[in-house]
Amino acid sequence: MRDKLAQLQAEAGRRIEAASTLDELEAVRVEVLGRKGALGQISKEMSKLEAEERAAVGKLLNAAKQELEAAFAARQADFRKQVLAEKLASEWVDLTLPSGGVPAGSLHPITRIQAEIEQLFLSMGFAVLDGPEVETEHNNFDALNIPPDHPARDMQDTFWLGAGMLLRTHTSPVQVRGMQKLGPPLRMIAPGRVFRNEEVDASHEHTFYQLEGMMVDRDVSVAHLIYFMKTLLSGVFKRDVTVRLRPGYFPFVEPGFELDIHCLICDGAGCPVCKQSGWVELLPCGLVHPNVLRMSGIDPEEWSGFAFGLGLTRLVMMRYGIDDIRRLQSGDLRFLNQRLTAGPAGAIRSGNAERHGLAPGQPPVSGEFEA
Amino acid sequence: MNFSYNWLAELVGGLDVPPEELSRLITLKTAESEGVRAYSPHLEAVCAARVKRVEPVSGGRNVKAVVETSRYGERTVVCGASNCRAGLLTAYVPAGTRLNGREIGKTVIQGIESDGMLASGAELGINRDAAGILELAGELDLRPDHIIEIDNKSLTHRPDLWGHHGMAREVAAILHKPLREPADRGLLPEAPGVVRVEIEDLDLCPRYSALVFENVTVQPSPLWLQYRLEAIGLNPINNIVDVTNCVMAEIAQPMHAFDADKLHGHTIYVRRARDGERLTALNEETYELTPANLVIADEAGAVALAGVIGGLASAISEGSRRIVLESANFSAASIRRTSAALKLRTDASMRFEKSQDPVNTVRGIARAVALLREISPGIRVAGGVSDAWRKRGRGAPIGLPLDWLNRKLGRDVEAAQVRAILEALEFGVEEPGPRVFSVSVPSWRATKDISIKDDLVEEVGRMIGYDSITPQAPLLPARVPPFNEEREYHHEVREKAAALGFTEVYNYSFLSEELARAFRMDPDAHVRVLNPIAADQSLLRSSLIPGLWRNIIENAKYFEGFRLFEIGREIHKRGQAAPGEVTHFAAAVFAKTDGAEHLMELKHLAETLAPDIRVAPGTALPYEHPYRTAQLTLYGKVVGRLAELHPDKIEQGRAGVLDIDLDALHATTERELRYKAVRRFPASSFDLSVVAGEQELAGGIQDKLAAFAGDPLERIEFLRQYSGPPLPPGKKSVSYRLTVASPERTLSSEEVSAIRQRIIDAMVALGYDLRV
Repeated sequence: MRDKLAQLQAEAGRRIEAASTLDELEAVRVEVLGRKGALGQISKEMSKLEAEERAAVGKLLNAAKQELEAAFAARQADFRKQVLAEKLASEWVDLTLPSGGVPAGSLHPITRIQAEIEQLFLSMGFAVLDGPEVETEHNNFDALNIPPDHPARDMQDTFWLGAGMLLRTHTSPVQVRGMQKLGPPLRMIAPGRVFRNEEVDASHEHTFYQLEGMMVDRDVSVAHLIYFMKTLLSGVFKRDVTVRLRPGYFPFVEPGFELDIHCLICDGAGCPVCKQSGWVELLPCGLVHPNVLRMSGIDPEEWSGFAFGLGLTRLVMMRYGIDDIRRLQSGDLRFLNQRLTAGPAGAIRSGNAERHGLAPGQPPVSGEFEA
Repeated sequence: MNFSYNWLAELVGGLDVPPEELSRLITLKTAESEGVRAYSPHLEAVCAARVKRVEPVSGGRNVKAVVETSRYGERTVVCGASNCRAGLLTAYVPAGTRLNGREIGKTVIQGIESDGMLASGAELGINRDAAGILELAGELDLRPDHIIEIDNKSLTHRPDLWGHHGMAREVAAILHKPLREPADRGLLPEAPGVVRVEIEDLDLCPRYSALVFENVTVQPSPLWLQYRLEAIGLNPINNIVDVTNCVMAEIAQPMHAFDADKLHGHTIYVRRARDGERLTALNEETYELTPANLVIADEAGAVALAGVIGGLASAISEGSRRIVLESANFSAASIRRTSAALKLRTDASMRFEKSQDPVNTVRGIARAVALLREISPGIRVAGGVSDAWRKRGRGAPIGLPLDWLNRKLGRDVEAAQVRAILEALEFGVEEPGPRVFSVSVPSWRATKDISIKDDLVEEVGRMIGYDSITPQAPLLPARVPPFNEEREYHHEVREKAAALGFTEVYNYSFLSEELARAFRMDPDAHVRVLNPIAADQSLLRSSLIPGLWRNIIENAKYFEGFRLFEIGREIHKRGQAAPGEVTHFAAAVFAKTDGAEHLMELKHLAETLAPDIRVAPGTALPYEHPYRTAQLTLYGKVVGRLAELHPDKIEQGRAGVLDIDLDALHATTERELRYKAVRRFPASSFDLSVVAGEQELAGGIQDKLAAFAGDPLERIEFLRQYSGPPLPPGKKSVSYRLTVASPERTLSSEEVSAIRQRIIDAMVALGYDLRV
């Protein structure tokens, strides 16, 4: 009986090893390990043995069973692994195929820059205000210290709508609305669409975007204005900028300034983009004219402030190296779907701006905050 | 405005900075220079030359001229000028000189070596005479110049800077140099005026001064004067006119000369024009005037448009022997209105509209007397200056507290330095109390420019140099700014639309009448631009759709399909009230197929913006597909439209458009969401299929099922829609899965069945078949 068991064990072991399919393996299992299998048969026959011999053979039988079961389980696991591997292999997918989903659209470049700058100002405690595109002559001019027949009105060719209404020529009227709404002290910006009645070409548009800014507080000085503009522009260009002020005339500020920055291409050394001057005109600013404060119900003896205007459209062109202002409102997907990435000053420094002829120092795009 | 460096150098004693540096200093301290350009640099090399003999050259008009030059000895040139004759003293340009962009060389012309050239006034930049070579009376002693071009906009507030002397004052102050006064009032005769002046309204004409001259010789000005005018862009005409222009360019006082013998009577009237009164001006245009225009008139009628342009009939001509020289001051607003109304901007009107100084008129005459004596030999003054004006006292001085000044600037400036700066600019400075100046403003700065202490901050600030101010952080309380919810919402909407594949466009606010009509929008219901740039931009858009339509048409040339959106303002006419502005969100999907996918995509976009948005049947607008249109509602309020553009509007494909009133959507969107307890008991689901007419709206069926299910309904989901056998033609089956539950307990199967049966009964009662 011991021999029979040994022979059975050896042969079953061989057959398990040799099984080439799960079915063959299962057949061996049923034949040997199954309820009516060979091992079971031996177990039944054991009752005929002497007690001592029966115990010894029982031990052997158990050992054989465990060994065969383990061999079977291992072989079965091999087969399953193989089957799974084959199934997985059949599931090969080419992930380089297009997703089939709708590709993301894109935000307009002006939207992006505007949102970025709004965030910058919000972080510095500025309120973001909106004003109407159709304004009153009063808010657009008179309340900003530009009375009728003032030659400064020539600086801004106006679209007139009749009945004292016009399309705002700058975002400055939102100063008036802001002062009336918020009262002093206040910090506010007003980005938005403005209109000038001028012929359109690659660098002039009748519709463009500005961002007006204003701070009213006690004892606001020119030194504060310079500090603030420097901080702001470092945020806008994401690098340190050198600024300078020089006299500029805008009726709603006194004194009024043109603010220049060191040319971003040559860092002030002088290059063709800045016409060798090292400086690029960037924005107008100034201390708020007392008449403007007074007209908005703020006492200029008690309060003072500064105001500035930033040309969003021009900034967008500088940032992305756009050489034709008309692209921005063309609705042309060949332009808009380029998913421009804002490589802030980097794009300018890399020489893009120069190549496209649209860097600071180029004929100013209207929209610089001209009075 | 062009400034001649040489001219400035005559007025500023010891001017020793080169033109480029001067330009930079002016930019930093006074007004924006647009740059410096060398003017007639060739004059360095040009000299006088006497033509010794002339020999004809065969074939052509050229002659061979041998000239004796004052600097280069004898030279032979070929010359084509008709006035090239022996004995003539003319201008010689040596070979090697650059003249107007080309280098003059030794060239062989018709077999003759021409060494340099003889040049005309126009070629040399002295005047505009190109008819022949220059005819000189002596050595050509004109020097090369530099022109500093100052941006006119930056001179808007500075009437004094419209003349060289005003700029010279700035330069002298910047460089601490003496300033020379060009006019000598001692030259003015003390006698009553020969002409009488009557001013109708001293507000319109605060001052009118005039002086009569006799024994006038009208002839070309000497070359130095022609050159001076030509260099700054003024056209030399004759000695009399050139003197008026020279005075204007020097001290910013526009002047005019009348031929006294062509005036009627002995009185000059300054009055409003009569309605319909006509004047033919020096430019040979005839203007029909109104009382809004101020004229200079004699007994017979208008002889000049005050402050703008002279009349042709009384103009100086070669035969003029007596002249009336006008030096007047006019109201800036009046001149500006006249100039704008007649579309006539002149050197005079540009200056007057900046509010010129009335004190300047007589100074101008004094300067003119000196010039006329020099260039019109034998000229005599007749009588004294006729001078009508309203004398005004100097304005009250401005109190300037020095500590306040320092606070404004953000740095301390020594009192002595403040005084020095103001005095260099010819302000009067007194010190009535400790650390307070009392500053009187010179007349040329007092007309509009300077009236309050803030104006003086600029004077001091620019002269100390803004770069001398150290940037300083303001001490401000930290404050959370008011939140602009609307703007934040717009950004959110943009982000969502872009994420769903839509590209943002910006369109103009303008609309053409033609496009409005094409969309069956009444042009007269739009706000109109009174002065549009072009006829196709005469209306303000009352809808974003025409703009998007144009984008679709343009982009369809390049793309098979695309998605666009815009956020912009609609501008609505509201009768007498100010126009209303409504922010809209409009989106479009263009596709080549006529399926409904593009509309469903837009519906999905709308649902992404507002999950509770509902589609409700609506009547098509004229530009919409009549069977593919709907209104969008949110909590019962109409917030927009979803439609396909009428296929007759687009040939290349189909376009769905979504148009949402963003203000309304934002106002209606629930903002405060509150937590609702999560259900604790299991829910049960069952499916129902409703048979309905093919064009019955599924949304309506769903609403009915939901209403009949009542409170226990937790959700209802669309499963499918089917038509075809075994359903009869014209019918469809719409299937929904309803899930019901109770917040208090698990519903028994009997209860669920009862709810289901209740819905079925109610639907059957409405005439529907249910396939269950």
